[in-house]
Amino acid sequence: MSRSSKGSLIGLAVIVAGTWAVRGWAAEELHALEEQAVRAAVQSVLPSIVRIEAVGGLEKVGDVLVGTGPTTGLVVSADGYIISSAFNFAQKPTSILVTLPGGASKVARIVARDRSRMLVLLKIDIDQPLPVPTSVPRDQMRVGQWATAVGWTYTDSHPNLSVGVISALSRIWGKAIQTDAKVSPANYGGPLVDIRGRVLGVLVPLAPEGQAEVAGAEWYDSGIGFAVPLVEIERQLPRLKQGDDLRSGLLGITLKGRNIYADPAVVAVSHPNSPAADAGLRPGDEVVQINGQAISCQSQLKHLLGPLYAGDTVELVVLRGEERLTRSLVLTDQLRPYEHPFLGVLPVRGLEPPQTVVRYVYPDSPADKAGLQAGDRITSLGDQPAADALALQEQIAALRPGESVEITIDRGGEERSWSVTLGALPSEIPPPLPPAHGPLDAAAGDARPATGLVPVKVPEEPAECSALVPDNYNPAVAWGLLVWLPPPGPLNLEQLSREWGELCRAHEVILLVPQSVDPRRWLPTEVGYVRKAMDQLAATYRLDPTRIVVHGYQGGAAMAYLVALSHRDRIRGVAAVDAALPVRASAPENQPHERLAVYTTLPSESPLVARIQAGIQQLKDARFPVTVRPMEGPGRTLSEAERGELMRWMDVLDRI
Amino acid sequence: MAVACAVIVAGTLLPRAVLAAAGAGSFAGIVAQVQPVVVKLYGAGGLRGLEAYQSGMLISAEGHVLTAWSYVLDTDYITVVLHDGRRLPGQLLGADPRLEIAVLKVDAADLPHFRLTEAVSVQAGARVLAFSNLYGVATGSEAASVQHGVVAAVTTLEARRGAFQTPYTGPVYVLDAMTNNAGAAGGLLTDRQGRPVGLLGKELRDAQQNIWLNYAMPLGELAEAVDDIVAGKARPRGEVAQARPPAEPLTLARLGLVLVPDLLAKTPPFVDDVRPGSPAAQAGIRPDDLVVFVGERRIGSCKSLVDELSMIDRIHSVRVMVLRDQQLLEFILRVTE
Repeated sequence: MSRSSKGSLIGLAVIVAGTWAVRGWAAEELHALEEQAVRAAVQSVLPSIVRIEAVGGLEKVGDVLVGTGPTTGLVVSADGYIISSAFNFAQKPTSILVTLPGGASKVARIVARDRSRMLVLLKIDIDQPLPVPTSVPRDQMRVGQWATAVGWTYTDSHPNLSVGVISALSRIWGKAIQTDAKVSPANYGGPLVDIRGRVLGVLVPLAPEGQAEVAGAEWYDSGIGFAVPLVEIERQLPRLKQGDDLRSGLLGITLKGRNIYADPAVVAVSHPNSPAADAGLRPGDEVVQINGQAISCQSQLKHLLGPLYAGDTVELVVLRGEERLTRSLVLTDQLRPYEHPFLGVLPVRGLEPPQTVVRYVYPDSPADKAGLQAGDRITSLGDQPAADALALQEQIAALRPGESVEITIDRGGEERSWSVTLGALPSEIPPPLPPAHGPLDAAAGDARPATGLVPVKVPEEPAECSALVPDNYNPAVAWGLLVWLPPPGPLNLEQLSREWGELCRAHEVILLVPQSVDPRRWLPTEVGYVRKAMDQLAATYRLDPTRIVVHGYQGGAAMAYLVALSHRDRIRGVAAVDAALPVRASAPENQPHERLAVYTTLPSESPLVARIQAGIQQLKDARFPVTVRPMEGPGRTLSEAERGELMRWMDVLDRI
Repeated sequence: MAVACAVIVAGTLLPRAVLAAAGAGSFAGIVAQVQPVVVKLYGAGGLRGLEAYQSGMLISAEGHVLTAWSYVLDTDYITVVLHDGRRLPGQLLGADPRLEIAVLKVDAADLPHFRLTEAVSVQAGARVLAFSNLYGVATGSEAASVQHGVVAAVTTLEARRGAFQTPYTGPVYVLDAMTNNAGAAGGLLTDRQGRPVGLLGKELRDAQQNIWLNYAMPLGELAEAVDDIVAGKARPRGEVAQARPPAEPLTLARLGLVLVPDLLAKTPPFVDDVRPGSPAAQAGIRPDDLVVFVGERRIGSCKSLVDELSMIDRIHSVRVMVLRDQQLLEFILRVTE
C-alpha cells in the first residue's frame, strides 16, 4: 500500500469580527480560535455519531484484507435509521452491533443499500429519539472551506478527527464531494463536518470505475477523500427506508467513439427493451441536452447521469439530422444483455484495396438461407457501404438477432440484394475451412522481422517474455495472436514450440508467452504487464484485431480470464482449461463493440467442476458465445486434437 | 507545508503591513524557534530498504539526544547532525526497549534544547507541528521537515489485543498528518505554540483497520525512563502501563463454556455447549449464543475470547454479552468453586 507524505496546503477563509482584530492580531490567537471552532463543530455533531461493530464474515474481500476494528455510522432519522459506508460491511458480517454515544449497544439490521454511492442504511430499535444532524445545502458548499472528517474508532469514549478543506464539489461523476482531510477505514461512514457543525457528507471510499465495496480504499489517507452529500442522502431516504436498494440509473445506449472527453454523445446502439429504445432513440442520434443542461461530449453526459438513480426521470434532447427531439424517459437499473447478431459469413483476409469478400458461408445461417456464396463481395448493409470486414462487423453490431436488414453484394460484376433476418453468434466449432486468403505477395526480404522463438523485451518489466513466430510469417496479412499464460511451475519453451509450431503455421497465428515474475503464481496486478507485452509485439508484427485470444491452464487460465476482462478493448477470445470464471464483484457485460468469445473445458472430475459450470452459466446469461469442451476425468491440458480444435475456434473469431 | 490565509475582517482586508508583521497567522516564528533542537541521526542500515537515518531532539544543553530505539542505532558509529550542520559522534547512553526509546550523548556545550519537564499534553483536535527528517530529505545544515496537522485521537497502543505489533502499549497521539514515514522516528511533536508534546514513533501498521498509523508518544510518558537512562540506571524496569496476565486467569473450562471448533482464522465465538451446573449454565448462557462482549471489550473470534479471558483473574466476576435471535443479552458470570 502506498503511503502519501505530501504536505498539506490549507486555505483558510476566516471571518472575524472587526473589534478584536483591531486590538491585536497574533497568529496564536487565530490558531486558538480555529482550533476551538473545529472542536465545537465536532462536538455539535457528536450525539449523532455511532460506532459499528461487525461480527463474523470474510477476512478478505477481493485482494483487500478487511479490518476487524470498529467503524462509524451517522444517524439520519430520529426513529433509529443510521447511514454508513458499504465498505464497513464488505465482509458480509453475520451480525451488526451499534453503540450509541451514551454507551448503549443495539443490534442493527441492514435495511437497504445505495449501490451507486456505496452506502448502507441500518435500523436499530430505540428507547428514545436519536438526534439528527443538520445537513449543508449543496449550493452553500465552497471549495476551500473547512471540512473535518469525524470517525469513532480509536477509543471507546472519544471520536477521532482529521481537519482539512473541501477540495472539489463534484467528483466520481457528480456523486461525491472531495476533501483533503484524511479519510480511511478509521472514519468511513462518519460525517464530514463544516465549521458550524453541520454535516457536509458521509465519508466513503469511491473509485471512478469499479463498483466493489472496497473500490477506492487504496486512496486512504492520501489527501483525496470522498463524501456523499448528506442532503442527497436525505432526498433518497424515503426510498431506502422502504427497503429499496438504489442503483445507478441507466439509459440503455452505447455511444460511438472511444474518447469520452472529445467525442460527442452519438448513439451507437440503443439497447432493446431499454428506456432509450422505448423512447425511440436510434443509432446516429446525438444527445445534446439532459435535464436542461447542454452537453457537447460524452463525459458531460456521464457527469450528469452519474448522480441519478434507476427510477429517476430524465429529459433528453437529441439531434437527429436537422431535427431536435425532446424525450422524457425513466432510468432503469438493468438492461437486457446485449447479444451480437450473426450474418453467417467469414471474410477473406489480406485484401488490397480493402473490401469485404466472403471466404465461407455457414450452412443454414441467415447468409446461407439468403443465398450468399463464397467469393461474393458485400458492398453494403442497410443503407451504409461496407468498406471492409472490420467496418461491416461494427455496422452489424448496431443490430440485434431477429432483426432484418438489406444486404447488397457484387457477384462477378452483377449486383444483388436480399433482406436477411439476423441470427446469433454460434458457439460450435466449424469443420476444417477453406484458406483465409489467396496467394500473397512475397514479403520484402530484409524488412522481414525475426521468426522462430524470439525474446520480447517489455520495457520496465522484470519478467521474461517470448514469442513463437512461424517462419511463414508475412505482413501482407494480419496474423492471429494467441497469448499463452503458463501455469505455475517451470516452463519448457522447446516443448511449447513443438506443440504449437505447426498449428500456428497453418492458422497464421503468433504465440506469445509472457511469464509471471513469481514462477509460482500469477498476480492479478500483472494484467498490465501482459497487455504491455502484447503491445510490444504489435509494434513489430501485424496482428489481426479480431483474433486476439488469451489462453491458459488452471492458474494461467484464471489469469487469462482476468486479462480478458480487464482489456476488453483488445482481447476477442479467452480459452480457459480447467479453471472457473474468477468470482468478481460485478459480472462481465457483453458489449457491442467489444466482442469476447469464450472457450472452456469442463473436466468431469475436476474439483472446480461446479464453479466452472456456474461461470459458464454466468457468461451465457450475459450472452457471450461460450464454447464448452466436456472432458472425462480430472482436469488436464489440451490434447493435440483439442489444440487443433482450439485453433479452428480461434480462426473464425472474425465471423460476421 | 504552506499555509495560505485569506482573511476577511468585517468586510475589509487587513492592511498588508499588519499581516506581515503578525506573520499573517503563520507558524514561521514558532518553527524557527523549534528547529534548533531537532537533530538528524545517521547509523546502521541502508540494506534491503532499511533506511540508515532517523530523527532526534536535544533535551539538555550538554548534548543529550532523545530518539526512538531502532536498528539505526545498532552500530558503534552514530552520527548526530545538529541544525547548524555540525556533525558529532553520538554515544548511546542506553535504551528502553519497552518504550522503544534511546538516549544518545554528543560532546558539546550550550546547545539549544528543551527540558522534558516543559512537555505539555494536548487533546484530540489540537493543532500540532511535527519536526523530523522523514525520508532523509534534509542534509547537513538543512533544517528538518515540518508537518502540520491535528491530533486525530488520544488512545493507547494495545499490543496484546493484536492490533499493533509493538512492545509499547501506553498512550499515543494519533495524528492526521503523514508523519510516521521512513526516517521520522524520534522526531519532535509540538503544540501550535512550539511547546514539546511528543516523540514521533516508528512506522506502524494498525492491524484492526488495516491502515498505517501516524502517531507520537507523549513526552510525559517517557520522562522517567529518560532520567533513568541519563542517570545510568538499568532499564527496563517497572511497569509500562502493560497489563500483566493474572497467574490464575479465567478459562473457558472454568466458566463451563464450549465453543464451536476454531477452524477459521476468525471463527465467530458461538457457544457449542454449556456444561451443566457451570457458571455459564447458572447465568443462563445457552448453546448457539454468540459471544460479542466480555466486559467492555468487543469479541470478534474464538481466539480473542480466549485471549480476553486470560487477562481476567478467576476471582473476578465477568460481564458477558451475547447475541441470541438478534437480541443482545447480558450475563454476569462468576467462578465460585
